[in-house]
Amino acid sequence: MADFPWLSRSPLEHALVVGAHGARDVAPGISLTEVRNFDLIQVMARRGKGAELANAAKARFGMAAPDLPKAVSASDVTLIWSGPDQFLVLSKGGKHTIDILSQAFSQSASLSDQSHARALISVSGAKARAMLAKLSSLDLHPAAFKNGAAAATSIDHTSVNLWRGNDRPDGQPVFNLLVFTSFAESLWRTMLDSAAEYGVDIGYSGELA
Amino acid sequence: MRIVCPFCGERELGEFTYLGDAKPLRPAAGTSEDDVFDYVYLRDNVAGAMSEHWYHGGGCRAWLKITRNTLTHEISSVEPAAGVGARQVAK
Repeated sequence: MADFPWLSRSPLEHALVVGAHGARDVAPGISLTEVRNFDLIQVMARRGKGAELANAAKARFGMAAPDLPKAVSASDVTLIWSGPDQFLVLSKGGKHTIDILSQAFSQSASLSDQSHARALISVSGAKARAMLAKLSSLDLHPAAFKNGAAAATSIDHTSVNLWRGNDRPDGQPVFNLLVFTSFAESLWRTMLDSAAEYGVDIGYSGELA
Repeated sequence: MRIVCPFCGERELGEFTYLGDAKPLRPAAGTSEDDVFDYVYLRDNVAGAMSEHWYHGGGCRAWLKITRNTLTHEISSVEPAAGVGARQVAK
């Protein structure tokens, strides 16, 4: 019988070409980085269990899960608002896998493992907002979309979870995007087209920003 | 047209899908055939303020109940539809 190897592969494995893209006569205005190998769990409160979920989340993560469109981080986890009484748990290294979390939330929430269902793309740099402005109708000005702001929205007709992370060491903003794997390549190419005029530095990383 | 989602804030129309009239209520079991026919098929063609269901599928995926003026597209109220948000159900 054939032996089926189950390898974890990025949905952007073919589309992502490491290096420079677009305008070459300028310093790259945008860094596009795919983050690989993360754990992502969707947590949704069961009917009437919203308050119970909030308590369980606080006990599990040591911080309140966001009940407004925000992303909050502790040392080993980021909780991203995705709708009323629901959030995403983003982590690395098997610390908050579905097996572990289903025990913590067994009384209050329904969980769904999205680790291999989404691609995580980090957009940063001086021109990141200018590029995203071509694709998104959200106001991403720092006054309106501060660090830690999150949104469930559509970009290029594709549903995404978008949130602003901590600024880069050079002070430039970082926008993180979670997109369904089957739409990731399409969105990636759209972003490359939008970003080309600013010069793009493309890469991938195993580390969460 | 923009809709102010009670969960997400102001968003463009493209993120929403229209379901239709929010007025009809499912009749009780054992009600007359006429009432069921009315509930399933008959709709008012409102010129003015109308209560409607919309779905924020391109965003937080919540169902909303919206009062919209069909003549001007002016939206006078947006609220979560019944059952949206586990916390609200608990109240």
